[in-house]
Amino acid sequence: MIGLVDANNFYVSCERVFDPFLEGKPVGVMSNNDGCIIARSAEMKAMGIPMGIPSFKLESLRKRGEIYLKSSNYELYGDMSARLCQLLRDACPAVSPYSIDEMFIYLEEFSDKQCLTLGEWLRRRIRRHLGLPVCVGLAPTHTLAKLANHLAKTSPHYQGVCLLQAQSATTMALLKQTPVGSVWGIGRRLAERLAVNKIYTAWDLHEADLKQLRKRFSVVLARTALELRGTPCLHMNDLGQPRHRIMTSRSFGQPTGAKEEVHDALRRHAQRSAEKLRQQRSLTRAVMIFLNTNRHRRDQPQYYPHAMIPLPAPSDDTRTILEAVRQGLEQVYRPGYRFMKAGVMLLDLVDAEQHQLSLLSPPPRNRHPHLMATLDDINQRMGQGTISFGMTNADAAWQLRCAHRSKRYTTRWDELMQAGTHPGAIRECALRKQPLT
Amino acid sequence: MSFPPSPVAPALPLTFQPLPYSSLQGRAGFSGFPSPAQDYEPRTLDLNTRLIKNPTQTFYLTAAGDSMEGWGIFDGDLLIVDRSIKPRLGHILVAMLEEEVLIKRYALYRGTPHLCSAHPHYPPLPLKNTDCQLWGVVRAVIHEYLR
Repeated sequence: MIGLVDANNFYVSCERVFDPFLEGKPVGVMSNNDGCIIARSAEMKAMGIPMGIPSFKLESLRKRGEIYLKSSNYELYGDMSARLCQLLRDACPAVSPYSIDEMFIYLEEFSDKQCLTLGEWLRRRIRRHLGLPVCVGLAPTHTLAKLANHLAKTSPHYQGVCLLQAQSATTMALLKQTPVGSVWGIGRRLAERLAVNKIYTAWDLHEADLKQLRKRFSVVLARTALELRGTPCLHMNDLGQPRHRIMTSRSFGQPTGAKEEVHDALRRHAQRSAEKLRQQRSLTRAVMIFLNTNRHRRDQPQYYPHAMIPLPAPSDDTRTILEAVRQGLEQVYRPGYRFMKAGVMLLDLVDAEQHQLSLLSPPPRNRHPHLMATLDDINQRMGQGTISFGMTNADAAWQLRCAHRSKRYTTRWDELMQAGTHPGAIRECALRKQPLT
Repeated sequence: MSFPPSPVAPALPLTFQPLPYSSLQGRAGFSGFPSPAQDYEPRTLDLNTRLIKNPTQTFYLTAAGDSMEGWGIFDGDLLIVDRSIKPRLGHILVAMLEEEVLIKRYALYRGTPHLCSAHPHYPPLPLKNTDCQLWGVVRAVIHEYLR
C-alpha cells in the first residue's frame, strides 16, 4: 500500500499552531509581496472567498476584523514541513516528500487493516505532537492514493483516513464521480483533448484501451490508466525528475523605473536561480530575463520586454549568468516605464554529469566549482543572501512587502513564541518593556 | 609599545583554505597507523542530547511574567517544550486557554486537576468544563545569568 499524508490548509494550520487567537476564525495567507490569497482556512472558504483573490479586495473585511490575513512566512512553513516529514520517517519504512505539505509513505507487506490502523495513529500523532491536522489516503498506487486522500478530506464519513482497494465497489463509484481533469497529472488541456475522445471521468480512463492511449496520447497517460486499475507503475523518480527550467521572479514592493534597482532585483533572482541550478546538478544553456509594467494601470505606458541570452557553453557559474543578465537588461531597458515585476529564467537545462564537451565549443571558462559550492554552503547555513555578487541595496523598492508576517517562531531566537505565567502576563510584560514616552 | 608589521602572508584564494567539516567526516580513505585517540574523538558533551530527547517535537518558547518564580521560571527564561510527552500530575505545561498561551503547573487542588501558578495572587484554574488545550510539556528551563 502507498499512503499520501496531506496537511489540511497547511499554511493556515502552521499559523494556528503558534497563535491560538486564530483558531476557529476565518484566516487567509497571502502570496509573496502580499499580492493575493494562496491559502484559506475552512471558515474563509465557507464565506465564499475564492482562492487567488487579490488582497486589496479584502482590505475592508480585514479592517472590520471579520477576517484575518497573514503574509506568507516561508521559514516557518518550511520548518514545520521538515518536522512533519521526520515524524513520518520515525514511523514508516519509507517516506518521500512530494511537496511542502504532501508526503508519500510506502507500506509494503502491511495488511489493509494494519494500514488503516497506522493511518489513524499517524493522524492523531501529528495532530498532538505538531498541532497540524492532516488527512491520509491509502491505496495500491500513487494515483489512487491521491484520490483516496481527496475523499478523506472532503467526506466526513472517513474521519480523515480513507483506504481504497483496487477494483472495489467504492473505488468504482468514486471513479465514476471524478472528472478526468481531477486525476493526478492530468491538466486542463489534456482533459479537453480526452473529452473529444469521449473520456470524461476517471472511470472512462480506467476502462480505456491502453494501446489507443499510448498511440494517441502518451505512455504516461497509459500508465495513469493502469494506476487507476491498481497496478503501480509511476515511481517517485518519474515525479521528482529534475526540472527542465528554473524560474525566479518577484513583484517589486513598489513599482520602479530606476535601472539600478531593476538590475539589482535581476541580479538577486539570477543568484537564486543559479543556486537552484547547482542543487539539481544541471547546467543551463540560456538565460531569459523579463520585465513587466503594471497592466492594470491603463493610464501609464506599458512595456513587457524580455530578452533571451544564449550562453556560449552550458554553465552553472553565477558569474556567467550574471553577465548574461546584464547583457539582457542592456538590450531591453528603456527609461520612462514603471516596472512592476522582474524575473530570471534558466532554460534548456542539461545534466552536469552527462554533458560532454564538444570539439567546436569554446573551452570552458576557468570554472571554480569550489567557489560556487562554498557560496551555496554559506548562504544555506547563514541565510539567503549572506554572500552575494555585487552590492544589492537592502532598502530598494523591490524588497518583499510582508506587512502581516507572523514571527518566525522556530528559526529565530528573537522571535520565539511567548507563554504567559498567568492570564494577561504577556500584555503586562509588553507594556512594561515599552519605553516611557 | 608598537608591534612590527607582520610579514605579509601569501594571498591564498578562499578555496585553498580547508572547509569547516565536522571532525567525524573527512577520515574516509585515511589509511596507515590509526591514531590511538580515535576511539575517543566524538565524545564531547552536547547539551542538545541532554535537554532535547525528541528534536522533531521540541519547540522553544520564552516565558513572560513573574507568577511562576516559585518554581524557578523567571520572566524572559527560555523554555524547552516537548510536545510528545504525555502530561502527568506535577508536570509544568504549556496550555492554550481562552486565546492565551499559559505556563502552569498541572496539579491536584482540592482533589481535582487544576492549572496552578506559584503566586498567591493567581488562584488555581480548574480544568473541568473549560476549553483548555494542552500544547506541550516543559522539559527544561534555561535561565541565563549573563546576557
